[in-house]
Amino acid sequence: MLADLLLIAMNGLVWGMAVFLVASGLTLIFGILHILNFSHGGFVMIGAYLAFTLMNMLAGSVGIVAFILIAFACAAAVGLMGFVVDRVVFERLKRVDDSYSLIATYAVLLLCEGFVKTAWGPNFQSVYPPSGLEGAVFLGNLFMPSYALFVIGAGVIVFLVLDFWLHRTPSGKIMKSVAVDPWMASLLGINVNAIFTVAVVGGFVLAGLAGGLLAPNQSLSPMMGGVYIIQAFGVIIVGGIGNVRGAFIAAILLGLIDAFGTVYVPQFPGIFFYVAVAVIILFRPQGLLSGIH
Amino acid sequence: MPQQQMNPRGRDVTPILLGIALTVFATLPFWAGKGLVFLAGIVLLQMVFALAFNLMFGLTGLVSFGQAAFFAAGAYASGWLARMLPDLPFFLTIAFGGAVGAVLSAIIGLVALRRASGIYFAILTLALGQLVYTLIGKTTALGREDGLIGIARPVLDFGVFEINLAAGDNYYFLILTASVVLSAILWWVWHGNLGRILAAIRQEPERVRFLGIDVRRYREYAFIISGTVTALAGALVAPWSQIITPMLAHWSYSALPILFCLLGGRSRFWGPAVGAIVFAGLEHATRTMVGVAELVVGGALLIVVLAMPGGILGTLSALGGRYFGTKREAGHD
Repeated sequence: MLADLLLIAMNGLVWGMAVFLVASGLTLIFGILHILNFSHGGFVMIGAYLAFTLMNMLAGSVGIVAFILIAFACAAAVGLMGFVVDRVVFERLKRVDDSYSLIATYAVLLLCEGFVKTAWGPNFQSVYPPSGLEGAVFLGNLFMPSYALFVIGAGVIVFLVLDFWLHRTPSGKIMKSVAVDPWMASLLGINVNAIFTVAVVGGFVLAGLAGGLLAPNQSLSPMMGGVYIIQAFGVIIVGGIGNVRGAFIAAILLGLIDAFGTVYVPQFPGIFFYVAVAVIILFRPQGLLSGIH
Repeated sequence: MPQQQMNPRGRDVTPILLGIALTVFATLPFWAGKGLVFLAGIVLLQMVFALAFNLMFGLTGLVSFGQAAFFAAGAYASGWLARMLPDLPFFLTIAFGGAVGAVLSAIIGLVALRRASGIYFAILTLALGQLVYTLIGKTTALGREDGLIGIARPVLDFGVFEINLAAGDNYYFLILTASVVLSAILWWVWHGNLGRILAAIRQEPERVRFLGIDVRRYREYAFIISGTVTALAGALVAPWSQIITPMLAHWSYSALPILFCLLGGRSRFWGPAVGAIVFAGLEHATRTMVGVAELVVGGALLIVVLAMPGGILGTLSALGGRYFGTKREAGHD
């Protein structure tokens, strides 16, 4: 019985950490620029497809180290795309209405889908976990795929690094000050526009990294971007939009609620995520934590 | 709140364009193929969907990202009833779809508007819309993921004469008539007293509150009118496509009216209709090219949103104003 509960909880955690990996970059960009970037899921998808291609090029066995290096390469490539998107699109969205930025970035998501369909085709592709992660391990009497544990570890590490950077380093504190009051920050001699660019590129790097790390987590299809973005929206809005710690807590909470809900009410799988998001926003419209932390 | 306020010498081309569009839609079955007529029927209903959405978006300033839930609610409610009770008069099944949409939008509007605003309202309606999508896809009585199939086009019985909607293009003309009637109702709301209050709420909610107007209640009115008309459009689509699937409630379907409004221009009543026609044209032209469709639609949308803040209609009107030497109101964005 206890083992069953633990297994459900672990499944919820894997889901939560996967979505947190996607949501971290999204909430970073919103925290600094106040743009809800619909295309984020699309760039996660491009990162995953790039990882798919790179792993196929290596052909045969890809070790854990090579897998992580590939994920970093995807992060760099998507970060570069982020720089272009920042110059072409985000630059023009700072002074417009929320609904405009939502739809402009939705248009970028469509471009991502079109790009993936023309470059990789509309069919499903699958990526296998790297050698060393394709098996399973016993934790006590709990049987867990080792790739699932890897996803949990990756989520926690990304959270710790991001949190440490935002709260404990000078550059992170500059970032926070720009988020709170860009005008005041500019008076203090901070190059606000450069910080905006850093935030966007950083968000896209996180998207590419999430894509690379999560490529073996599900089949790749051009619909994948849309699926991830909706879940990530739920997580960042529940966590308090722009708040990395909030997103981390919300991802775990929503993952657990959805996992237990699906086990106990199997007729309606997937519904508890939306119910939980709606109920939490109704009671705490500003999210669990608010402000950038 | 006159949208196209002219100075006395200015010429308003809207009635002419409207006349052309109506003529094209009305004569379509006589010169176009079956595929195009089917598409035109869908576009007409999507136009109603977008015009209803714009009452809330362009006029009142609310961004809901879950409107597809009401469209699907109308389609499923009337489709389900028509299959349960095939002898029920057709207009009753459509009215039932509208009523279900009205109740659902009253509940969602009441709850969501009380708690959230701005981007939170958008995400809250998105979550509630996805909830409806997931529920429909898992409910056996509604056909689960396969949807409801074989929804009949019935015979309208007027006592002295009958119209068989299954024959020829009769159902297309019913859609055309219904779209004109629903658009007329929306036009009347937009330009009437209620519309003025809603526009004032978008511009200055705080001042409107000082005038003693219950801002939240009026936002709820806009939400419910929009949801009801959307559900009626959904109810009309069921016998036209004869198959309805949960995709009607998916969030990507909720994005459509927002696209149409921004594409056409949300500060003008007919803007979303222009957006719907242009979007359908783009999609139809690129339908056979895998991936290119998304690139073209995404690219066009991006250009319009970034470079033409007034949408197609706003930009045309500004250009036209320059050409005819008349000064026009640039919309109220």
